Amino acid sequence: MSKPILTQINWHNPLSPWGAKTTDIPTVAATDCSDVWDANTEYKAKTYKVGRLKHYVIWPNHGQRMWTRLRWWPTRRNLLHVKGLYNRKTLVAEKKILDRRPIYWAICLLLIAMGPMLFPASMYNTMLSAGTIFGIFAAINVCWTLILGAASIFSLASYAVVGVTAFVTTYASIQMGLPWFTLPILGGFLGLAMGGLIAIPALRLDGFYYALLTLGLNELCRVFFTTSKQFGSASGGLYGADSFLPASWSPEAQSLLSYYSALALLIAALFLFRFINGKRLGRILRMAPEKREAFAAACGVDYRKARVTIFIITSAALGFIGGFYATLYGGTAFSIFSFDTVLLGLAMVTIGGIGKAEGAILGTLVVTFLDKVLISWGPMRMFLIGIIMLGVVLFLNTGYFGIKKQFNAWRDKKRGEWRSMRTEKGGEALPEEATEEDDKDVLYFLRFDKMQRDYLKGLICPEIIEEHRRQPLGQHSAALERLLMYFRRAPMDDKYALHRNSATGKFKIIAFSGERGVSPRVVEDREYDSIGDGYHAIFMRRVHDLLES
Amino acid sequence: MAEQKIFGYADQFTVKEGERIRFYVNCDGSDTAEAQLVRLIHGDDNREDGPGYIEEEIAHPANGTWAVKKQFTQLGNFLEVADPDNRLKLDGSLSMMAFIWPSMPQKGARQTIMGRWDTRTNEGFALGINPEGYLQFWVGDGREVDYVTSEMPLLKHVWYAVGVSYDAASGTATLYQEAVLNRYNSLIGPAVPYDYASHVRTTLRFAQHNRADIPFLIAGARDNHVLRGDFVADLYAGKIDRPFLTETVMTRAQMDEVRKGGVPGRQGLVAYWDTAAGYSEAGISHDVAETGPWKLHTRGVNHPIRGMTGWNWNGKNDCFRLAPEEFGGIEFHPDAITDCAWEETRAIEIPQGLKSGAYAIRLRVGPGSGIAEEYIVFIVRPAQPKAKLAFLVPLASYLAYGNETLSFDAQIVQPMTGQPPIISDVEIETYEHREYGLSTYNHFEDGAGVCFSSFKRPLINMRPKFRNSWMGVPWQFPADLSIVAWIEHFGYECDFISDLDVHREGVEALKPYNCVMTGTHPEYVSEKMLDAQEDFVAQGGRLIYMGGNGYYWCVNFDPEENAVMEVRKLDSGMRAWAAKPGEHYLQTTGEKSGLWRNRGRAPQKLLGVGMISEGFETCEPFRRMPDSWHRTVSWITEGIDGELIGNEGLAYGGAAGVEIDRYDLSLGTPPHTKIIASSGGHTDNYVLSTEEILYAYAGMVGTLDYRIRADMIYYTSWNHGAVFSSGSIAFGQALPAKGFDGTASKLLRNVVDAFVKDGPLPGQQWTLEEKQWR
Repeated sequence: MSKPILTQINWHNPLSPWGAKTTDIPTVAATDCSDVWDANTEYKAKTYKVGRLKHYVIWPNHGQRMWTRLRWWPTRRNLLHVKGLYNRKTLVAEKKILDRRPIYWAICLLLIAMGPMLFPASMYNTMLSAGTIFGIFAAINVCWTLILGAASIFSLASYAVVGVTAFVTTYASIQMGLPWFTLPILGGFLGLAMGGLIAIPALRLDGFYYALLTLGLNELCRVFFTTSKQFGSASGGLYGADSFLPASWSPEAQSLLSYYSALALLIAALFLFRFINGKRLGRILRMAPEKREAFAAACGVDYRKARVTIFIITSAALGFIGGFYATLYGGTAFSIFSFDTVLLGLAMVTIGGIGKAEGAILGTLVVTFLDKVLISWGPMRMFLIGIIMLGVVLFLNTGYFGIKKQFNAWRDKKRGEWRSMRTEKGGEALPEEATEEDDKDVLYFLRFDKMQRDYLKGLICPEIIEEHRRQPLGQHSAALERLLMYFRRAPMDDKYALHRNSATGKFKIIAFSGERGVSPRVVEDREYDSIGDGYHAIFMRRVHDLLES
Repeated sequence: MAEQKIFGYADQFTVKEGERIRFYVNCDGSDTAEAQLVRLIHGDDNREDGPGYIEEEIAHPANGTWAVKKQFTQLGNFLEVADPDNRLKLDGSLSMMAFIWPSMPQKGARQTIMGRWDTRTNEGFALGINPEGYLQFWVGDGREVDYVTSEMPLLKHVWYAVGVSYDAASGTATLYQEAVLNRYNSLIGPAVPYDYASHVRTTLRFAQHNRADIPFLIAGARDNHVLRGDFVADLYAGKIDRPFLTETVMTRAQMDEVRKGGVPGRQGLVAYWDTAAGYSEAGISHDVAETGPWKLHTRGVNHPIRGMTGWNWNGKNDCFRLAPEEFGGIEFHPDAITDCAWEETRAIEIPQGLKSGAYAIRLRVGPGSGIAEEYIVFIVRPAQPKAKLAFLVPLASYLAYGNETLSFDAQIVQPMTGQPPIISDVEIETYEHREYGLSTYNHFEDGAGVCFSSFKRPLINMRPKFRNSWMGVPWQFPADLSIVAWIEHFGYECDFISDLDVHREGVEALKPYNCVMTGTHPEYVSEKMLDAQEDFVAQGGRLIYMGGNGYYWCVNFDPEENAVMEVRKLDSGMRAWAAKPGEHYLQTTGEKSGLWRNRGRAPQKLLGVGMISEGFETCEPFRRMPDSWHRTVSWITEGIDGELIGNEGLAYGGAAGVEIDRYDLSLGTPPHTKIIASSGGHTDNYVLSTEEILYAYAGMVGTLDYRIRADMIYYTSWNHGAVFSSGSIAFGQALPAKGFDGTASKLLRNVVDAFVKDGPLPGQQWTLEEKQWR
């Protein structure tokens, strides 16, 4: 709308017969308000239909029927985190599953459990043994992701812990004839001791330096065990530990038992993850993510203790896995310490997303499948793993399981950009914005307010400002009065006022919060000697804000 | 060191010579404060146009250093149940049920409807609303909490029947949630397609562990803080109607029976609060009837609002007196406060012979100004009436505005006053901390209007020097001190009494005086106050109404707690909120609140004038009206040069303005009333009062509507009685201007000098029908 031509007039104060001093002063005629309405009859931006089709079944509520809620024994958690909500469009009572992950977990674990029935006959053996390896590595990676994610300790020594405990328990089994069931327990204690040792530098070092240190440790273990006669430097590994696989069973039965015992190990690792990450320790550490430790410490969170505790518990678990590994395979090879194992493990953890159990498992599945099942692809598959990892690192913030969050954030960003292009600042709500507002009265207020502002902007001129300066209170010309009425009616948030502490003090401009119980903010440091100056300074700010909008 | 601040209150507003008055002080940042008894003379520190602030330090043994400390305030409404024998300590199965009308279910904080719960130790059992707004029953064993939550969220301002049955043997807890909405009782009607019902059952992992010392509370739960000790938290917002507790496992059918209006069976009943019982023609007590087997004494804290429409209200009866059973709702607000209940800091005795007047204990810590200075105001009455003149201090109106925060919260204030507000630190301090409660111009956090106000809490605007922020000049008490200063300046002997004294003692409190002067804005009056003043005038007393918008709202002081005033705002009038339908009657008397005008007692009947307009941002002078030359009244304007009266003043430089009153025969102005002077030339910010409006049309503003003016009137009554009314709030603040030598001051001298004399008033002989040559 083009700015209307203002007509200069001399304002004759209706109170002049009563002796009003301010009269016959220059001002402008208030133009016709309906011009603005005539000029704004449609959106400037193109409008689109909005709405999202209901394309899946939504559970209705129980209403009059009794809803018996089952729980995960022995916790107070309900089977599913379900909440009843009223549909904002229809008010129909609907149930929403707030956390669908238990369903996905159940399906995935069931699929893994049913794996041997689903494997193609031609690859049955390969897949069964790959499945076993998957189970063990997934268990290791779940523990590792606790260290990397929950504890934010960048340790690369997880495989070293598994390897050392596997070698030592094998050795102990051979030398002392320890039965198979003692090996994981012994491994656990060894892991605990190792965890304690490795944790000490973590109190001082972090990030890259700690990664280097733990990598060095890994290398030290490799060199020690490959050159040590006791640990089979000649034979590429140490074998002969007592195994729980009954020798009398057929190889197929043994493979199956291996597969399911590895699955059981994985489930045990998942429980460990749940009990650390989902309980007090995990919550403490979520308050203290990397680079924000100081804040958490100031809040009274002893994040170092929590991190080291997690590290030590997890190391014990890794030791247990080492012992389990030894008894499953009757021993272990030096390759457990090799750099490519560490790198493959890192790939597994990264692809799915660090810090998430589901991430560790998906990563392990992908990498193990490529590495152990698609053997026929040759070295190509290593490239593929590398490409996948590179892709994840380049394009995803937090691995595969961060995609949803990342996508939503990206969509929010795009929506923001799109809206900033389509909407006028302070304009009325577009159809897509209206969906977010429950009080439809607000939508009309926005329209009305925009019209008012468009109109009032056209009235601002030096004459009006001078009129206000001369007499901030009292009867004003029609044009100024309209402007003042608009200013006074503004909502409370960021509405200006004066601050003064006594009848003799100076005035400062403040602005209300509009939020119950929240103090006003000081708008500027400038102080005004007279109340008239204070009123006029507020008026000028309001004029400025109006012209800005 | 913490920021130093000091606040306090007294147990009485008026105290006689020889009596004791107790002070309660809360102080941060210091354990001592300097106390000084002062007589307050002038309250407006504007030194350019008036005398500035004036106080007189009075020698008293209590002056000097007082030991003060930090005190804590229990905010919020709840019902306390006296249960010394632990009858409600149910360790096994139990059922609870209540009708509720939540006003902030999605508050984001836990709210307890009823139970025996300790928030700190997680012990006991309770029925309430979880932070997401779902009905929940929870039990605690001292370590952990277990709970069952309903399926659908509670909706605000809808009546529900809610309950729980807990079977300790099997551990199953069953929630019951059904709406009891009808065509009238809730915010929305039956056409809205909500399914409110929810019935959820789960097996709890452990049973409640009850400690003996946990209290059973309705609308709150026990909490504890290391410095503060025990207090009540998890407060509920909304109404509760007829809650009860049984030691049986109630079935769905039994609960349905209650939902349909049945009374719970006596079998296994442990407590039944019949919230609609005990109502009388004269109002409702704060004691809630518990009609179960043990008759446990139950009392509301901080004045929960009683007699509110209940779950079964059907729109026909508009008062709890007509059908008590439909008005069983008790409304609870987590931010209500009518008694800070602090520990006494000091009690002092008012010495014999202390001049009657407005006094305060001035307390200072650290810098001794702003929030580090407090005046605890009280009025000293003579032991026996001494003077001919009395100043009637309008406490009810001070309370109505006590701690108002309109500048911060009310969008309408700037359009109303036509100016941006001017805020001081003490307002910001109390706005932030909110523990001293609200005024009857505020809304509670849940949006309901505040209908109780008390002086048993610090009142930051009932202090000298305080300037009303929405218009930048003193208002109520500090403005009334301009009248006090005028009385002092001219050396009138004057006794001070408050309207609460008149409310309690009736016309006897006024009888000893020849002349009674009111404050600048005595807007809130009770029936007893009106009766007393009407009788006083009819018996020959002279009343000077020094204000504007006076005798407007019908209020009452709580007979059980004199510090508390009650008002309901409704129907018409310039009002900050509107009481809900069916909730228009004062719980403390049973009479209809709202405007006196709507009850057949427009202020014009006693004062000759009544509210017509308010505008705040400018004031005008009065100009003599032709009747003022009549010899019956010409003595009033004797010695005044020119026709203008009050062309000066501390409120916008004029005696007519802020809020103004008009003569109106149709509203009961006595027919022989003469208008001495009227104001004019009010700006368009002066708008017609809403109770005047039948049809709204354009132009009901100062420059277009002749009705918008202040009328200064005079009329005579029986036995040489008379009434003079200034008809404007600004009149009182015009008195100290020009060194008390302005025209308003001169005119008032004429009136007071005549009114304090015994015998006939001047000009009473000039009563024959005029035979005029001119």
